[in-house]
Parts: sequence; structure tokens; C-alpha cells
Amino acid sequence: MTTGITAEMLDGGLAEDLAAASLAMARRFARGATLWCVAPGSEPHAHHMAVEFVHPVIVGKRALPAFALTGSGLVPRARVAVRPGDILTAVAGAADEVVADLMRPAPAWGAASAWIGAGPRPAAGAADHVLWIADQDPMAAATGGFVLLYHLLWELTHVCFEHPGLLRPEPECADDGCITCGDEGRLAEVVGRAADELDPSGLGRSGFGSRALVRTAAGEETIDVTLVAPVSVGDLVLVHAGAALTRPGSA
Amino acid sequence: MGASDPTGFLYPFIEAEERDARPLLTALAGSAQAKAAESAALQQATLAASAGLLAACGAAMAGRFAAGGRMYAFGNGGSATDCATFAALFASPPARSADGGPPGCRALPALNLAADQAVVTAVGNDVGFDLIFSRQIIGHAAQRDIAVAFSTSGSSRDLMAALGEARRRGLLTVGFAGYDGGEMAHSDAVDYCFVVRSQSVHRIQESQAILGYHLWASTQRAIAKPAPTPNGGTE
Repeated sequence: MTTGITAEMLDGGLAEDLAAASLAMARRFARGATLWCVAPGSEPHAHHMAVEFVHPVIVGKRALPAFALTGSGLVPRARVAVRPGDILTAVAGAADEVVADLMRPAPAWGAASAWIGAGPRPAAGAADHVLWIADQDPMAAATGGFVLLYHLLWELTHVCFEHPGLLRPEPECADDGCITCGDEGRLAEVVGRAADELDPSGLGRSGFGSRALVRTAAGEETIDVTLVAPVSVGDLVLVHAGAALTRPGSA
Repeated sequence: MGASDPTGFLYPFIEAEERDARPLLTALAGSAQAKAAESAALQQATLAASAGLLAACGAAMAGRFAAGGRMYAFGNGGSATDCATFAALFASPPARSADGGPPGCRALPALNLAADQAVVTAVGNDVGFDLIFSRQIIGHAAQRDIAVAFSTSGSSRDLMAALGEARRRGLLTVGFAGYDGGEMAHSDAVDYCFVVRSQSVHRIQESQAILGYHLWASTQRAIAKPAPTPNGGTE
């Protein structure tokens, strides 16, 4: 049933999720973040979301850096475009594999992520902020619900700018567990061979030796990859104390 | 500095000392709920006020499509993206019917005139931004076609120029506007004008989305019937 927007649409936690996402976005914008918007199945939404931030409809609201990424090759293009501290947002169904492929490495790129959609939810932890309309309106992309959600993100983000005392960096350890300083490890994406292993002779079949250059939220570093070998460029690993301990999701 | 502090008004920069985010988060969630309720009510009021117009406009558009016509949709900024979503509904409709209605939606020729960066920037640079859409109407359109303009003000000069050009060429013309309808509501160049009566650009766009969806559904219903108005005339 096509319902359009309902007064109950934000019940069940979505209003609180929008509030938390808006504050997180405002904190990042305050430190120079760029917002990246993707919507592989309905690209006008990526453009609409970006223009809200770049050219606000309310005179006097500050312009914020935001780009729509559209077309093909989104993952490699986002990989070079996204800088640590940025924000990556998607408007797409939970089954969208391109969006899942973008959200997964986002922590290694240092990007906060938000995923807007409707119907069945993505898996827990698929993005930092899952902004989801529970009702299965099969036409949610065309009846205003998604437009409402990114309009609200823009409106609430600007409300946060009126509270400069709350725009300082997010606390290092969130209430729901800390992966920055705990034993779980930081997410890293394999960028290439370690600088001192650039001579491929004598390396393993994957072209890597015992170490690899990886990218984490803190920048690039060289780590030991013996425990997770063989690795390839683009692989995600969990790093602790200079070594890749495991791959995410492989407990 | 809680809301209960009676001296808070003495400190104009007190927000800089704010440390507890919880009151703000509560206020933001409440604001989001209120705006969603406002948007939902506006959508319903807009649909109720536009029911007759949606049926008549859908029938007229079906007549143009049946005669081999195309639809050109255009708008500026967020409205350019909303008209892109609208055009995509016509050109590549969902595989199954939208709301359990008649199955087998027909794909219909519909184009978004804001989509081509080469044309928009060439016309804008060479002859002026106000002509970015009307120049394309001159180049593309024939009498059996349809022009649909998306605006919140209802008065954007590039849209009015394109609607005027479409009128001169005999196209069926449709306008989406907000506020009190702006120029579109009174223009002889607009056959069917849908007005979302709100003062908020965001709420207007959210209601224009549901209007666009229902106009598409109305067109689909009309085109599924034996052609009632073979030439798509609008009287």
C-alpha cells in the first residue's frame, strides 16, 4: 500500500536516530567534513540531498560542502574522494550491494556513515546511523518519505550549529563499547605492499610479504599481515598493536 | 546550565558552555516528529484538494501519450531532482503496480530537461539561464507532447519561459507550485496547476512528491482504458 508520509513514520526510534545522526554530522561539519551522497537506485535523491547542504533554501544558513556521487564505480571513486572526518550517506534499500560495499570500509576511511531506506533493515552495524522507515511502502522513493528524511537531517544539523558547546569531537569511547582503544582492533583497508617490500621477488603468490600498507581512520601505516595472509588490495582487516589479527565478521 | 536555571537569560553565550547533549537530542527528536506530522497532514490535505485535478490531468496526459507524445519535466535545484524522480516513474515504472492497483504499468517516454550538463550549461552561458528549458522545448517539442514544471515558488523565470514556449507550441502544460501558486496559478500558459499550500520549501517538495506519484498513477489508470480523448485535448 502506498501511504506516503505518515505522522507515525518516525515512531519506533527513527526520530531519535535522526537526532543522533544530525548531531554527529554537525560535529563533523564543524571540523571541516565533506558530505558524500550516494543513491545507486534513485540518483536524484543523492543530488537533492547534496544541494540542500550546498545551497540552503533558507537564506542566511551557511553553505556546507556536499557532493553527490553518481554513476558507476562508486566504491573506487569514494575510496579516493573520502577524507578522514568526512560523512558518507546513502539512500537505498537494504539489499543494495554497492551501498553495503561502501559502508563496510567507511570506518577505515575515517568516515561516519548514514544509510537512509525503507522496508527490511540492513544488518545491525551496517552503518553508524541507520535511518529506516519501518513500513514497507513499495514506492517510498517516490512518495516523499526519503525526501522528508534528508530534509530533516539538514534542518536538525543546522539546529545543532546553534549549540557550539555541543559540537566538540565525539567522545572517544561511546556507551555501547569502544573499538578505538579496546582489544577488538581498528578497521583497516589494505592499500598495497609495504614500502620495504616493493620488490616483488621472493614474495608470496598474492604479491604480499609478511607486511602491508593499510589505511585506517588515523591515516596510513604499515602492519604485519601474517595472521590473515594472503591479503589483497581492498581487503578489510582488524588491526591491533601493529598487526592484522583477523578479518571483520570472521570472529 | 539546565532549563530550570532562572538566570540563564543573563548569559547570551551560554550555549558555548553547553556540555550535556541529551536535552538537545530530545528536542531534535521532538522537532523531527512534529515536522513529519506536519508533512503527513499537508500531503493528505493536498491530495484531497487536488483529487479532481489529478484525475483530469492524468486523463489528458494519457491522451497525449496515446497519441505518441513525450513528457518533458523540468525544475531548478531540489525541484530538478524531484522532476527527475517524477520522469523516472513514467519512463521506468516499478515492475509491479505501485499500490496493489492495476498490474502491468506501461513505460512512457519522459525526459528530465535538467539532466544534460552540456545543454544546460551551453544554453545558460550562450543565451542566458532563463532560457535553459525554453530553448530545449523549442528544440525538442511537438504539439502532442507534455511539459511539466516543478517549482516551489511557482514563479521561476526559466520555468515560466518554458511553459510559455510550450503553450505557443500546443503542448499540454502542467505546473507544480507551492505557497499561493505564484505566477503559475494565474498563467494562461498552464493547463493544470497543482498548488501545495504551505510556506515551507521542504514541506512543499514532500507534498509535490506524493502529488507526482498520484498523477503518474492517474495517468496509468487512464491509459489502461480505451482512449476517451483520442487527441488528448484539454479544452
